[in-house]
Amino acid sequence: MKLLYKTTQNFLLAMSVILAVAGIALYLLLRKEVTDEITEQLELQAELVADQVAQGKIVNFPLISVSEVSADFPSNKSLGDTLIYDRLQQKNEGYYYLTLIKKVNQRNYRILVMTSYIGWERYYKTIFISFLGVALWMAFFGILINYYSNRKIWRPFFLNLENLKQFSVRSAQPLQWHDSTIAEFKELQYSLKDLAERSRREYLALREFTENASHEIQTPLGIIQSKLDRMSQLEVNEEMARCIVQAKSGVERLSKMNRNLLLLAKLDNQVYSEKQLVRVDELMQQHLEQMEELFSVRNIALSKDLCPVTIKSDRYLCDVLLSNLLSNALRYTSSPSEIAIFLSEQQLIINNPGAALDFSSEHLFDRFTKSANQPQGTGLGLAIVHQICVLNGWTIAHTYRMGVHYFSIDFN
Amino acid sequence: MKLLLIEDEPFLLDEMEAYLTEQGYRCEKAMSFEAGEDKIALYEYDVVILDITLPGGNGLTLLQMLKKQHSEAGVLIVSAKDSLSDKLIGFNLGADDYITKPFHLEELNARVNALVRRKSFKGNSQIIVDNLTIDPVAKTVFHQETLINFTKKEYELLLYFIINKNRVVSKQSIAEHLWGDHYDMADNFDTVYVHTMNLRKKIAAHTGIDYIKTVYGMGYKFTSA
Repeated sequence: MKLLYKTTQNFLLAMSVILAVAGIALYLLLRKEVTDEITEQLELQAELVADQVAQGKIVNFPLISVSEVSADFPSNKSLGDTLIYDRLQQKNEGYYYLTLIKKVNQRNYRILVMTSYIGWERYYKTIFISFLGVALWMAFFGILINYYSNRKIWRPFFLNLENLKQFSVRSAQPLQWHDSTIAEFKELQYSLKDLAERSRREYLALREFTENASHEIQTPLGIIQSKLDRMSQLEVNEEMARCIVQAKSGVERLSKMNRNLLLLAKLDNQVYSEKQLVRVDELMQQHLEQMEELFSVRNIALSKDLCPVTIKSDRYLCDVLLSNLLSNALRYTSSPSEIAIFLSEQQLIINNPGAALDFSSEHLFDRFTKSANQPQGTGLGLAIVHQICVLNGWTIAHTYRMGVHYFSIDFN
Repeated sequence: MKLLLIEDEPFLLDEMEAYLTEQGYRCEKAMSFEAGEDKIALYEYDVVILDITLPGGNGLTLLQMLKKQHSEAGVLIVSAKDSLSDKLIGFNLGADDYITKPFHLEELNARVNALVRRKSFKGNSQIIVDNLTIDPVAKTVFHQETLINFTKKEYELLLYFIINKNRVVSKQSIAEHLWGDHYDMADNFDTVYVHTMNLRKKIAAHTGIDYIKTVYGMGYKFTSA
């Protein structure tokens, strides 16, 4: 539930309770006051009637009756209401009456005085209606004021929230903050600003670290490799030779992985922002010529259908993209078989027959995802391909149908 | 041939010096920016192998100094940075070649060799091994007067072997030399095997000598007296 609805709802609830209590209290108080006042008035009237009786006057007023009663008549005072027919309005009206016994000149008189009253029903109705009116107006204006002022007050908050949703530590632009006059929002904004700046700083430091670490690793790797090369020049027995070969293969893998990580770090750092016009078909052709023997040794035929295509991208990245896709096809194609490559203005498709993935296909483009059958791979080749596609705004998809892997890149 | 090796990593420097000396080059070493600066100012070299990140300064500054002196030396940049922009900057400043760490010494040797040939003979040098004559410009190989037909890759492979003769050349090193290091072949060197076998057969068919020996699983060695 939105905060605005919640506060409005609470406000309405509280208001209805307050109004209901106030209405009932008003009704009860009014009733007590009016009853007391009427009683006093009736008593005074009875007193005046008694005075007139004492002076021997004949009291003959409407709504007043005086009658002589026996001396032992119980002298209780009673207050009550009754209905009297109103001839003018042609309906029964409610009246209050007071009867009391007064001793005047040694004689007992029963005096009855009456006065009309507005029926409590009507008091009740009037109060209810006016309070309901007040409630409705208050609710209406309350909601209106709440809504508009809240909208104004919360505006910077929502704008900042929207900004925050778009926020990425990768983006180079700092966040645009919308100022608010509300202290709490100001505080929130400062905290968020601080948080965003800190995470960005840390992200940059991490990125820099990855790049530096990769660079620093290259030199020791170079030493290991050159020393292993030196060792393999010596006269060694077969066991030692095997050890050297295995060590070399480890160094090779480490060095490739390192280079790939470095490339990924650079892609993240958006080092390759320059774009040139690249003839993809020519580039592909060069790669295929270069790789010709690699395919033929594995008994893999190539069928290609390349249209002349020019795209705007970084040349080096296109190179990496194609070589990684082709290396991937080379490695995972069953042999003998055929790899098919289609290139059109819109897309590049490479299909190669091969075993199904032994992991979930959604992880295919993740870093360090690799098949259990090919532990020598770095698991970074396709991650790099994916990253290059993201950088260029292309979409890459993989499907597996009837024993064939389809990799397609959409250039639009 | 006089070489200057400017590299701050002593172990690597030793290894480079040892192998290049074996190949018949006279090598001098510098382990810092200042040492390199002194040597460049004082002596003439045929080839300078230059590390970019040096204690005391940037190798590219040394390259600029060399060019200011109108030095004839060929410059091979050795860098831990496999970055295109570094490469382009290096080439723009007049470097002749660029190799990224870690590298195989055979590859370094092949690059130095190519650089020396290009510089000192303007490319018109023939390489002669026993009765084999290689013309690096025409990319042809003759046995006595007969042309031996090699594919492009076989020719490159033979040249690589000959330049690194009497040394065990690993399959990784061959694969990287022939196909570049961007095809991740993951220890699958069947192609290297096939090419080497074809090369051996062709040479043996013409000369009757099998120059290339298999060394356990480590690689191959081109031996000649």
